[in-house]
This record gives sequence, structure tokens and C-alpha cells, in this order.
Amino acid sequence: MPRIKILKNILWLALAVIIVRLFFIQIIEHDTWLAKAEKQHTLLENIVAKRGEIYMMDDGEPVAVVLNQTTYQIIIDPLVTEKEEITRVLNTYAKDYIVANLDEVYNIEGLRYSIVAKNVPRDIANKIAEENLPAVWLKKNNQRVYPEGEMASELLGFVNADGLGQYGVEGSLNKLLAGKDGLIKTTADINKVALSIGDNNIKIPAEDGKNVVLSVDRGLQKGVEELTIDAINSTDATNASVVIMDPNNGKVLSMANLPNYDPGNYGDVKDASAYINYTTESPYEPASVCKSFAFSAAINEGVMDSETTYFNQGYEIIDGWKIKNATQRDSIYGTINMKTALYWSLNTGSIYALKLLGGNPDQITQSGREKLYDYYYNKFRLGQATGIELIEAEGYIPDPNEGWGRDSVYANMTFGQNLGLTMIQTATAFSAVINGGTYRTPTIIEGILENGEVKPYEFGEKIEDKILSDGTSAMMRDMLLNNRSYKVRMGVDEEGYAIGGKSGTAQVIVDGAYDDTMNETIGSYIGFVGPEGELPKYVIMVKMWGEGQHLDGEIAINLFDSLSNYIINYFKIKPKA
Amino acid sequence: MHEIRKHKSDLLILFATLGLMALGLIVIYAIGPMRANVLNNTYGANYDSNFFFLGQLRSVALSLVAFFAAFKLIPYKYLKKIAKPLIIVALVLCGILWVLSKTESALIKCELGECRWFNFGGLSFQPAEFLKLALVIYLADFLARKKEEGTIGKKEFWLPLSVICGLSLLLVVVAQGDLGTGVALIAIIFGMLLIAGVSAKQYILMLILILAMAVGSVAMFPHRMERVDAWLATLSGSESTDSTYHIENAMLAIGTGGLFGVGVGNSVQATGYLPESINDSVFAIMGETFGFIGLFLIILVFGVILMRMLKVADHTTDQGNKFFVVGVFSWTLAQVVVNIMAMTSLVPVTGITLPLLSYGGTSMVFIAFAIGEVCQLSCYTSREVNKNEDISSRRGIRGAHHTGGRRNS
Repeated sequence: MPRIKILKNILWLALAVIIVRLFFIQIIEHDTWLAKAEKQHTLLENIVAKRGEIYMMDDGEPVAVVLNQTTYQIIIDPLVTEKEEITRVLNTYAKDYIVANLDEVYNIEGLRYSIVAKNVPRDIANKIAEENLPAVWLKKNNQRVYPEGEMASELLGFVNADGLGQYGVEGSLNKLLAGKDGLIKTTADINKVALSIGDNNIKIPAEDGKNVVLSVDRGLQKGVEELTIDAINSTDATNASVVIMDPNNGKVLSMANLPNYDPGNYGDVKDASAYINYTTESPYEPASVCKSFAFSAAINEGVMDSETTYFNQGYEIIDGWKIKNATQRDSIYGTINMKTALYWSLNTGSIYALKLLGGNPDQITQSGREKLYDYYYNKFRLGQATGIELIEAEGYIPDPNEGWGRDSVYANMTFGQNLGLTMIQTATAFSAVINGGTYRTPTIIEGILENGEVKPYEFGEKIEDKILSDGTSAMMRDMLLNNRSYKVRMGVDEEGYAIGGKSGTAQVIVDGAYDDTMNETIGSYIGFVGPEGELPKYVIMVKMWGEGQHLDGEIAINLFDSLSNYIINYFKIKPKA
Repeated sequence: MHEIRKHKSDLLILFATLGLMALGLIVIYAIGPMRANVLNNTYGANYDSNFFFLGQLRSVALSLVAFFAAFKLIPYKYLKKIAKPLIIVALVLCGILWVLSKTESALIKCELGECRWFNFGGLSFQPAEFLKLALVIYLADFLARKKEEGTIGKKEFWLPLSVICGLSLLLVVVAQGDLGTGVALIAIIFGMLLIAGVSAKQYILMLILILAMAVGSVAMFPHRMERVDAWLATLSGSESTDSTYHIENAMLAIGTGGLFGVGVGNSVQATGYLPESINDSVFAIMGETFGFIGLFLIILVFGVILMRMLKVADHTTDQGNKFFVVGVFSWTLAQVVVNIMAMTSLVPVTGITLPLLSYGGTSMVFIAFAIGEVCQLSCYTSREVNKNEDISSRRGIRGAHHTGGRRNS
């Protein structure tokens, strides 16, 4: 064979092999490579929705209490970015934001990604970007800022590092505040920069979160927190919670849990209990505060009024348990009326109301228990979530028939023990007692802020249920006002105002039984404020506690006193002329 | 022997060469900005988006000058006369490069740890490319002389041949670590020796020897072994590693092209995924851009150039000229085949450019010059019909002969 022909054959053979190979890769394996290419080239990126801001009301106008701020993370590729350069740039502009030890970063072999600075404000990030260092990326972060500092931190909650709202409004309304992230699906180059190449590119814009306006009044909240802190500091209490609401529409005007924490540095909190909004998340026994509910039930059933009398011997024995009154004094033994019983907060009085409910003044009956249950659970909706736009605990109301010792359990329930209620449940039920008898679902939301206007926004079904007669409510108001008659005489409550209330001192269960030593108690007080002769305008509920501390209703009364006077001033409530 | 009259040159080689250069220019125009962008973003470089296109434009312009100078201005017989000085200069340049590369001289340009370029104020020059041309010219002359002496296959033939070829390979493969050029040199040597008439027995012995050397050279250098491993890994479809990345992404580019390709300017692999996208891997980008049909046509064009070269060789009566043409053929064939086979994972990656298409000035200028000389020699083919010539080629030559009478081609 001529040797030129050998070369010719080599040429043909080589080209033929290549053509066959190309046919194999490009035609037969085409789909496989397309799939691999899609995997390699496609950039899926969330467009992060802007989180809604949180407002409170102040003088009828919304003011921001939780704002957004854009900050940046500085990320480097230690294999490409020069150590000296990045060190110089960071030290020049962003010294306070460095989060990594650069010596260590550059000592890790093969490291291609390292976050070296965090929370860098936009202007500083811009300066770093202008340095144009190789393989330095700026990653945008949205951060929450709190112009009011720690105020209402348990109510507001915080946003964690993953952008998820935790606790408070941030947690309960996370979905609404977060909005909906958008999506970019695009062909991108090796540096993850989107290319205009390709026809499968998708862009779904983000839906920004809603700006939520709370019904809470910023100025009131501030004043309430200051007074509450004073109360904690001047007593043995370590904690206190306050709810102030408008009994006529269910709007919460203040919700305080002291001490606060700093939501901007939520990670510094030592004990996660600091995050808890006790007013809605923590059921407890509000004690004698609940006598209002037992009395309302009996009055509304027409079996009792404020002048109804019974024989008070200072204690009752039920199911073999001796239930004593907290107050023992000679003047109130014998036949007394219900008004007096409520004034002195006599357990025998509220037990008598339960007996009357059952139709037998001498003993507690099944029908009495069932009626009390009906009022507590179905009418006052105690022991169930109220539907307020917050994280809520349900609490519990014992069954009237199931279980041992129902009579003693229900006797206890008339003075607020053996059950579990949250403050918001209690305050909402109390609102119904004094507002003319209508139960209204409480709310913490004024509306949604859109284009500078507060627009109503429905979060869920709002119940409006007339559960007590006008007469019952009026009689209860009278008795509750009478409870504070001595406060008027003492000059604590000013003339011309209608301020009524009821205290409660709850024993704490120690080792499965009520601790009769009363070494640790929780002090509660609930009351209303308004001009004399009108329906009350505000309901205030106070709870004070501290581990191992005996805190009775009297301590809570003092805080209520300062709050009721503050609120008169703050809202400029005019006294009856 | 007949007096060969000058006739019209082989226009197919001419137009195919110019066509490929134009195609290379278009592709670099499309992907040059992507390359600049990747280098700027990843390494903080500051390339203008037109940088690579302008570079390629300059290379093409220089190559056209070289091509037409070789075609029309520099008769091959002059080259023949300076064959020895040329090879000596080429070897000396390679030697100087080697020495300077040890001293970190500013005259040397290194890329990715390989120092293969002289640097003259922004203009770079790769002596290995010059060496290929010089070796072809030298061997053509050497083989013709030995053939005339009748000493082919004898001791006085093998001794100088071994020295020159051994030195060339040493300075390229060992000193510069440039296996790609080494492969091209070996192809040149083997192609020319085949035609020169080395006996089959000696030829096979030589093949065994060079294979043994190749295996040894791969085994000695870890980075070459790694490439072979990577190649075997992609062949067997085992897991991806950093080493297999290059081949995988070349195949991915080619594979996504499908039948018709994604079109000019729509390459995604060129946006940074495929290493060396404008140089050694440009064939893969073309596969993505133009698809199977496009690649088929490109290979066809290379096939035409190579076939016509063989035809010119076949019909060249002067032995030296014939050897030269075969040398250029072997050189071109080796670069085309090894480059494409590497991109399609048929052989390990060696780092070899695709003639006339890859970005890179020196390689294009020298191969354009060599092809220009072949075009020149195509004007002096004999109309004598060789034994193995087929009908179609006979017709072609007759045509060329007639038109050649105008003497103005």
C-alpha cells in the first residue's frame, strides 16, 4: 500500500471515530447532557419579601415600633481574596462588624466561603463594594430595629436569624408580616449572575408583608410599663403583667409583661421564659377575681341579688375539705348579704352563690355545677382561647360531673381556684360583666397600614354575644364599685369617677396540693375605670408574682390604683360634673 | 522528471483556511465578553469586554499576513536553504525560555504555572510553535537529502535525526511540560518518516520506543497521571472530581448542543463553567453553539484541508517539498484530532489548540504560515497520475493545470 494512502486512511479513520463519537454525545446522549446542564446552570433564588412593620397607635395616629433595616454580610473566598487586602478594607470601614478571625479563616485549607462581617450598614457595605476586591460578596439581610427599645418586647416578639417571627405578634402573625417570597429561576453564569440566555427563566415577584397596626396605645404602654416596673421594684415581686382593654369593643390598649428583654439582642436572654407573654400564654388561678363571674351567674339566673343574705360561719366543709375564708373578723360572722360577702371577698359567699345556682341553699348540686360550668365555659368562654391575634394558651375548666370531689372542685372554682385561666380570658370575661353583659372577642389589632391609612383587617371570627342582662351587669358594677368605696374615702380614687374592682390572692400548688401556708401566692386585681354614671371605658387587669414570694391582692391593688389614676390623666377622662 | 510549470493553487485549501479563521473570529466575538466577565468577577481582573475579540482579530490579521506572505512572497526553496539555521534558532529560543523560566524573568509569561511564552511588552510569543514549523522545514530538507544519498534507515540517518528530534522533544515536553506540542512533534516526525520510506521493521520499532517513552513520561509526572486518571474516570462514568471537571464540562457543552446547537451568543458553558473556553476548549463551545450539524461541517472543512494537503503531497514530484507538505499535514491532523478527541473524552486532555480556531496568536500565525507554504507548493503539482489517484482528483488537477496558464492566480 502506498504510504500516502496510509495517512489518508488514518485521516478518514480518525475523523470517522470523531463523527461517531459526536453523534453519540450530541444526538443519543443529548437529553442526559441537557439534564446535567439544567442542574448546573439553573439558579434558583428566593426574592425575599419585605417583612411588614409593626405599629402602635398614638393619639389616633399609627407610629412604628418595629422597623426594617437592610444590613449586609461580607463573604469572601479565601482562595481568591487576598488576605492583606480584605484585612485592610475591613479594618478601614467595618472594624465593628467583623465576625471572623481572618488568621484562622486563611489557615483552613481549601476553604472557599467564609462570612467575615455581619450586620454591616448599607453605606459601609457600599464603600467595601467600591474597593472591587476579587471574590468578595455582599449578602443582603433584613434586620428588625426597635425604636422603642425594650418596650412591649413580649407582646412584639422578635425575628430569628432564619427570618422567622418568634413569640409575640412576630410569631403569631408571622405569615401576614412575612409576606410571600418570590422566586427567580434563571440560567446563571458560574458566579451565579443571572444571564439573559435561555427561555425557561421564571420570575415570580415577592409579595411584601403587611404593616400591622396594633390597637395598643404607645404612650399608654410606656406609662404602664414605667409604673409596673416601679411596682416590682417596691415589692417582693419579680414579675408583673398588665392588660388594659376597652370593655366596649374588646380592643387591647396595653399589654405589658415586666421585666422586658431587648428584642434586638434576643439571644442574650438567659432564660427563654423572658419571651413569654404571660397575659395570653400562661394560664393560672386568678383566685377571688373570679367571684365576679360566680356572682354574675347567680344574679343573671335570678336566684340571687346583692341583698340576698346567707349565714357566714367563716368556713364550709365540702367533700370533707374545710374551705376557710381568708378574712376572719367578728363583724362579718352571722347573716350577711352578698354585697358584703364580695366586699370582704368571702369564699363562703361565692360558694353560697353556687348553691343557689343549683336551687338548694344547703348544698352544692349537680345542676348548680352544670350551671356554673355553662357560665364559665360557654358564656364567659373561660378555659378556651379567646381568638386574640396572639399565641394563646387555652387553660382549663374542670368537668362538672367527671372525676372525684366535684363539689369541692366547683366550690373552689367560685373563688378562682382549681381552674386555669389566662389574663386575657379573665379580662375579656370581666369586660362582659361590666359592659352591660356582652362578650366580645378581644383584639390587639387596629388594622393594616396601607399607603399611610389604617384599614380594617379581619383575622378571624369576632364573637359578640349578649351573655348577661343589663340588670345583672349594673348590679355587678354597683358591687364592684362598693368594693372600692374605701378607696374613695381614702382619696385614692377621685370623686366623679366610677372605679370598681376585685382582688385575688391565689395559693400556689406545691407538691400536688394547695399550699395552706400561703408562702407563695400570686396577687391579682381586676377593675374598671370610667366617668361616674357612664359605662366603664377601661378594664385593667394586674398580676404580680415572684417565686417563693407571698404577694396578695393588696399589692396588686396598689399597682391598679396607680394605673387607674394614670389612665384618667392619660386619656383625659372628665369626671362627672 | 518533467519540468513543472506553475499553475493555479489549491483554492479549496485557501478558502477552507480563511473560512475557519472567520468562524473562529465569530465565536470569539460571541464568547470573548463572557470570558472577560468571568475573569473580572472571579479574579478581579479588568478586561474590556472586547479584549479577546480584538486579540483574536489581531491574531487573524497577523495570520493572514503570514499566510499570504508564505503563499506569495517567500518561496519554499528559500526556507529550504535556511532550514538548519531555523531549527537551531528555534531550539536555542526554547533553551533560553527554559533557562529564563528558572529565573522568574519579566521576559517570560507564565499561565497556570506553565512558562511557555516570551513576553515583549504585551506581545507574547510561544517558541514551541516556531519549533514545530522549523522542525517540519528541517526534516523535509534532511529527509530529502538522505533519500537522495540513499542512506535512509542507516546509521548516518538515525544519528542526526535522533539528536534533533530528541532535543526538540526534550525542550518541549520535559522543559516546558508541554505534552500537547510534544504530541504534535511526534506526529510530524512519524508522518514524515513514513513517507520518507523508513522500512516497516524500523518504523514499528520506533513506534514501540516512542510508546514506551510516552508511558514513562506520563508515569513520571503526577499532573499527567492525574489527567489520565480523570480521563479514565469520565470514560467509566465514575464520580466527578476536580480533575474530571474539565472533560465533563466540555462534553456537557457538546452534548447540550444537540443537532442544531443553541446558536451564536447563547452558550452558557462559556460563561465560566468550561475552563479554557476560548483556547483549547473552543471546539466544545462550538459544539454547544452549532450542534452536531455545525461540528460535522467544521470537521468536514478540516477534512477537506487535510485531504487536499495529501493530494498536494501525492502530486509533488520534489521529494523535499512532498515531505514538507506531509509534515504540515501531520502537524494539522495531530492538533485537530487530539484536541477534538480530548474534548470528547476519547483521549486524555493534553492541552493542545485547535488550529485556526482557538484563541492564541502564535499557534495560529505559524500554522497559517505553514498552510500558506502548502498553498504555494500546490501551484507546482505534477499532472502525472499516480497509481493510487482516483478519478475525481485527476479531474481537479487537469482543471488547475488549464487555468494555471493565465499565471495570475
